[in-house]
Amino acid sequence: MSKSLSIDTAAYIPSPSRSSAYLDWLQMLTGAALILFMWAHMILVASVIIGPGVMNAIAHFFEATYMAQVGGPLIGLVFLLHFILAARKIPFRAEQQSRIWKHSRMLAHKDTWLWLVQVITAMLILIMGAIHMWVVLTDLPITAEKSAARIQGGFWMGFYLFLLPLVELHVGVGLYRIAVKWGFVGRDKRPKMQRFEYVITAVFICIGLVALLRFYFLAL
Amino acid sequence: MARNLTFSIFRYNPQDPTSTPHTDTFILDETNHMTLFIALNRIREEQDPGLQFDFCCRAGICGACAMVVNGRPGLACHTKTKDLPENITLMPLPFFTLVGDLSVDTGTWFRNMAQRVRSWVHTDKEFNPRALEERMDNALAEEIYELERCIECGCCVAACGTAIMRPDFLGAAGLNRLARFALDPRDKRTEQDHFEIVGNDQGIFGCMGLLACEDVCPKHLPLQDQLGMLRWKMGWAGIMNLLPWKRK
Ligand code: HEM
Ligand code: SF4
Ligand code: SF4
Ligand code: FES
Repeated sequence: MSKSLSIDTAAYIPSPSRSSAYLDWLQMLTGAALILFMWAHMILVASVIIGPGVMNAIAHFFEATYMAQVGGPLIGLVFLLHFILAARKIPFRAEQQSRIWKHSRMLAHKDTWLWLVQVITAMLILIMGAIHMWVVLTDLPITAEKSAARIQGGFWMGFYLFLLPLVELHVGVGLYRIAVKWGFVGRDKRPKMQRFEYVITAVFICIGLVALLRFYFLAL
Repeated sequence: MARNLTFSIFRYNPQDPTSTPHTDTFILDETNHMTLFIALNRIREEQDPGLQFDFCCRAGICGACAMVVNGRPGLACHTKTKDLPENITLMPLPFFTLVGDLSVDTGTWFRNMAQRVRSWVHTDKEFNPRALEERMDNALAEEIYELERCIECGCCVAACGTAIMRPDFLGAAGLNRLARFALDPRDKRTEQDHFEIVGNDQGIFGCMGLLACEDVCPKHLPLQDQLGMLRWKMGWAGIMNLLPWKRK
């Protein structure tokens, strides 16, 4: 009768929540989407190795179709969403951090270390990736010449030399972990998958380095 | 050539207020076919009768002797000293409550896990002690047995970074246990019932896929495959619940 007794009686019946399942799907799917994006991104950047004209043509295509203007911020959102979802797994409390650190040192177990690599690279990518996206997307259109000018300035060369391996490590480990966590790769295929992870990480770092050098020595 | 082994062993008795955690060193001559079980018993007999550690079957069956051997959780009775370097560090399993020295209480945790998983065959059939046992397809029986082989040693949980950070995590042993009952045709629980037990961040969605469990399990249970299968199945069970006609 009385309004003051507005007790939520349903609060006493625990209803099974599905949110963990949805959030885990989203974490994996945003991760996978970012991997696909990074590969597309690598095609664009690495095209400068063939020639600045090729890169400009691809960049122009992305702009003429509004993929850069719309897709860019969209990727930014996916990036943010992925961070928010994955952050549920990051140990933020000092006690947890010290535990996982001591645990990793005790265990000397590769996959446990790889997870720490993923968490640490993630925090750096969050900051550096955001800076990079801001700088590029507030200075459209993308052209090889503008990128080369930035990189030849020196600061951005150092910035990218740092960001490149961080991203490729995060992507490589992420790909491997999606495969084993969701059962796409079983016990028998795990060593193979791990080798694939190393190869793909190394190959992408190499392509990225060559592209950076090409930018650095591009005649303006 | 006979080696002299140096054992660095964690010592602490939480019952004794004067005891402080420290490491004691023991030197022992290695003998043929020596296991850590033999070594620890000799240390206790010859050097320090107060040393606490657990053993029962000394054959990798009871799961009592799990400890951290040079950083890796494993069974002491299953570990041959010839496979180890001269310096051997023994620590109790982390995560579990310490009883003293190398002895931990895994029982309380496993009992709690069994209750969370409701680790028994759920059936409404009346049990008839006179009837012949129901038959089961042999291949399926073997598949169930493969998961049933878990000896509750606790190595997988002690090696799990997720469990170390979040003590309410069900662990690979718990998730494997549910997978075992999910296989059993006598158990009437549905996928949605399973979801209510493990479809959360304390269950399969908390697992971060570090696979330490898979790499340390002394019985080589197919934990990676069970975890992958469960995440996939429970992931879809969650999605299926979005469909109004499938909702429970
Ligand atoms: C280039 C951008 C990024 C890509 C391609 C990417 C990709 C991935 C992938 C594929 C995974 C594995 C997902 C899973 O295990 O379910 C992952 C996990 C993770 N990502 Fe990212 N990520 C990116 C950026 C970030 C950023 C900015 C953060 C936040 C700081 C982040 C934090 C994490 C963390 C902590 C995990 C581990 C989650 C877990 O253990 O379940 N990532 N990432
Ligand atoms: S795979 Fe899952 S259960 Fe196994 S050690 Fe890793 S987090 Fe723990
Ligand atoms: S799954 Fe393996 S490591 Fe874990 S408790 Fe069972 S036997 Fe021990
Ligand atoms: S003593 Fe039983 S498993 Fe080692």
